[in-house]
Amino acid sequence: MAEDLVLDTAIRDWVLVPLSVVMVLIGVLRYFVSKLLRSSQTPDAKVVREGQLILRARNLRAAGGFIPVKSFRARRFYYTNEENGLLHVPKGQAQNPQAQMFSDPNMAMDMMKKNLSMIIPQSLTFAWVNFFFSGFVAAKLPFPLTPRFRSMLQNGIDLSTVDVSYVSGRSWYFLNLFGLRGLFSLILGEENAMDDTQRMMQMGGGFGVDPTKNLGAEKDGIDIIQHEWTLPKMEQRAEMVLRKLVK
Amino acid sequence: MAVQDSTRSSSEGKSGDDGEDLSIFHAENLQNNMKSIYYSRTFLSIMGGVVAGIWGFTGLMGFVFYLLIMAIASLGLLAKAKFSVGNYFDSWNRIILDGFFGGLMSFVLFWTFAYDIVHIF
Repeated sequence: MAEDLVLDTAIRDWVLVPLSVVMVLIGVLRYFVSKLLRSSQTPDAKVVREGQLILRARNLRAAGGFIPVKSFRARRFYYTNEENGLLHVPKGQAQNPQAQMFSDPNMAMDMMKKNLSMIIPQSLTFAWVNFFFSGFVAAKLPFPLTPRFRSMLQNGIDLSTVDVSYVSGRSWYFLNLFGLRGLFSLILGEENAMDDTQRMMQMGGGFGVDPTKNLGAEKDGIDIIQHEWTLPKMEQRAEMVLRKLVK
Repeated sequence: MAVQDSTRSSSEGKSGDDGEDLSIFHAENLQNNMKSIYYSRTFLSIMGGVVAGIWGFTGLMGFVFYLLIMAIASLGLLAKAKFSVGNYFDSWNRIILDGFFGGLMSFVLFWTFAYDIVHIF
């Protein structure tokens, strides 16, 4: 290990602590701003209906074993018959999701707002940190690391003699960015627990989803499953329990 | 430990009441249980990080401390589930592994923060 650096206490007071505090406050601010911007639009009746339908079909598929065969068949027929089954989508009625998006500018607007509330504070903080704190050795990790981490942890200091466990101001920002996620989920509730990467993925998925395709997939799923009666000894069990109660 | 126990008091999923091969889960309760695990783990890793930093652990010692904390958390969760994991979760991994790596990042951050403030400057 190289000789220890002596860090000025002023660095702690003016770099380390303010940076962390600002990161937390910005996280909180971002949460409230995005809450403010979130427009509560009334969802389309058709979309809601289809969503509920899929949920019901899924329930049937998951819990089909708890109802008798006859009821199961009746329900399956109700969902999947070729004439007027609920899950049966007539050909040609499937609409293009892209066209749907253009017809509904609110959707794109909403997405953009979400995106902006995510990107703007982040780039602003990064610029701020970069401007004020990029050259400092701000912190020291309490554990040794291999030199490979140098580019990650000493972003902004171009000295190869400094021990790797010293962290530059800019890298402290990145550490905060990743490590504070847990804290946010604690202080802001569960809505924030879903982190940005997940949200991004969801957004990517949101573009191409075709609800009618979902219906078709669900229909196939219901068609395939075999009915298995899961409560063959229910009467005996019930008798046992009741007897125990009576005793 | 008291805090993390009290967080998961509200509604615990009563599931899988017949112990043969069939298990029945109530998805919402299961999710609720998992969420409380996540919260308790996060809280513990942050607190553990601060404690490790103040006590001045360095190097491997800190990670051993983290492992210890997580083991204690698992034990606490197990005790809270009255030692019958099957009633509350769908697998053992929920109690043992869930939130382990997510908490590590928070732990390292707060460990570094407290350590620097107390010992470096």
